[in-house]
Amino acid sequence: MKVELLAPAGDLEKLKFAFHYGADAVYLAGKDFGLRANANNFTLEEIKEALKIAKKLKKKIYVTVNIIFHQKELEKLDDYLISLDKIGIDAIIASDILVIKRVKELKLHYEVHVSTQASILNKEAALFYKDLGVTRIVLAREANKEDIIDIKTNTNLELEAFAHGAMCTSFSGRCVLSNYCTNRDSNRGGCAQICRWELQDKDNNSFTMAPKDLNLIEYIREMIDVGINSFKIEGRMRGIYYIATVILTYRRLIDKTIAGTLTKQDESYALAILNRCANRSSSPQFFQKLPTFEDQYFTDEETSNQDFLGLVLDYDEKNKMVILEERNYFKVGDIVEFFGPDINEYSLEITKMYDENNNLITVANHPGMIVKIPVMITLHKDDLMRIKVFDKQLFL
Amino acid sequence: MSVEEKVINKYLIMVSNPHVLELKVKNLNFLFPIKDLCVGVNKTYTITEIKNRDAYLLINRILDRQALKILEELLNSDLSLIKGICFTDLGVINLVKKHKPHLELIYFGSHNTTNYQTINYYLEYCDSLLISTDITLPEINLILDKAIKPLVLPYFILPEVMYSRRYLLTNYQTYYNLPIKKEIELLEPISKEKFLVFENEYGSVFYNHNFLDYRKYKFHNILYYYINPYNLDNNTILDIIKGKEVSLITSEGFLNKETIYKLKGE
Repeated sequence: MKVELLAPAGDLEKLKFAFHYGADAVYLAGKDFGLRANANNFTLEEIKEALKIAKKLKKKIYVTVNIIFHQKELEKLDDYLISLDKIGIDAIIASDILVIKRVKELKLHYEVHVSTQASILNKEAALFYKDLGVTRIVLAREANKEDIIDIKTNTNLELEAFAHGAMCTSFSGRCVLSNYCTNRDSNRGGCAQICRWELQDKDNNSFTMAPKDLNLIEYIREMIDVGINSFKIEGRMRGIYYIATVILTYRRLIDKTIAGTLTKQDESYALAILNRCANRSSSPQFFQKLPTFEDQYFTDEETSNQDFLGLVLDYDEKNKMVILEERNYFKVGDIVEFFGPDINEYSLEITKMYDENNNLITVANHPGMIVKIPVMITLHKDDLMRIKVFDKQLFL
Repeated sequence: MSVEEKVINKYLIMVSNPHVLELKVKNLNFLFPIKDLCVGVNKTYTITEIKNRDAYLLINRILDRQALKILEELLNSDLSLIKGICFTDLGVINLVKKHKPHLELIYFGSHNTTNYQTINYYLEYCDSLLISTDITLPEINLILDKAIKPLVLPYFILPEVMYSRRYLLTNYQTYYNLPIKKEIELLEPISKEKFLVFENEYGSVFYNHNFLDYRKYKFHNILYYYINPYNLDNNTILDIIKGKEVSLITSEGFLNKETIYKLKGE
């Protein structure tokens, strides 16, 4: 079975990184009708550009059209759906039955995937949407292994499951806390994430309820076995370091799983890397069992990650020198690690470095500055450099 | 207690407490939250406990594989007193049509019945539906003008704000070693919004603390005016039905307050 790795793309740069680091497809939103109304999102011209890139790489583009529509948004919907058809996207991700119906009535060519906003947990709900002509279900994040088996066995629909990233506290699409507390409509992309705020009970105790992030890295084999066709990574608002790290980690583990070469050590190392690059702790959430308090966090556990040190712009083969754009402070003596889709993790202690005019420097402390470091292995444009935290050998 | 009153409208009232069944009001249909198939309620019923003709069953869980089995068992039982089912999970439609096709189907979609075109598509598969509590008065009126079937209006209810599969109260109380309570009140301190939270073995539901009260407006194309009385006594419920003032904190929700979602400068 072909297994797809599906990445978020908040803009064209992130899309390129997602593909470069191993995504088979990306999902993105246009300027309207997506659930991240205040993200950059894509103009139609940018979606065209994204599609050009995707087609060249034989990869796919899915566009989210998954808000809950009020009357005033409907005026522009048909034109938008037709425009997406003309551009030639592969699928839309929709939750409103109206969108699904209009795609069929307008005889548009792309597939329709039902968004996780539809909260599908059972075969009958899946069959309802299958009868409407959808080809893929994005499962509710609350689906457990047995639910997934039952849906797959009885519908034979393509199943897409969130494998990694932030989660709603509620069933997706079933929360309007934001509407009440901030007047921002969560189901049209305005969610203010009230579930991550502190509420108060009657005794003035601080009440929190936010879930840890989802992380199913240890369940890839089982997810494939139960019929998951697409592993979805959450995070259209995330940066390129997060996208690259998570996508590459899942890419390698999925490939090793399919090849039958995946080891427990691979999983342990991957888990350590993923936990390190996120700003919150994670858990498998609903896949094996109902989450408990251990799958939520109750104190301010979010951390800022400064591990991303530099983006490789070029490699000078003749002088064995990597040319980097600095992203976070580093200095001579730091032990760093390069990673990318075409190299194994490579670590070294920085003994020398130069600025763009070849002057010796000891610190790189200006984001965006050009830094050159002697490195003996060939690196490639868009490889990344991070601080070395884990020694992979210790996991072997 | 037994009270009787003549009313013009047709009401659908949730049997949130057994005393609601003592109301003797014409054109009143009872809606029973069904055991193992409901969340966010403080009382549920088995099918054998329901003795009222033309009753409706409430199935407001998002159904997993196990819940689907419970629903199939329910649909294979004697439902001769039952007029219809109010449901949240679209999987209910196929099962009801297969097992008890005579039952009315009323979709309680919570937040996704916000425009008439979407609603008319849903009405191809069900007999009526509950209009969203997240929209404005002009939006509701347009929906009622254009809907191809009479609809259910949230008339006097605690509006549902959030539904989670998690045990949000138990988890919080366990983490802090607090006594386990399955119903609490919460305040969001910036907006001052209050919420009532119910938890059962199938998840947690937040309601806005203030009753949503649409009684002062006139509507048409209504199948039922829906009342969820929570823990109100029958005299108060009667006052609500008669359109009288009640000493409760009420709200008009978003009737006159349109929500936004695109922010300038972000």
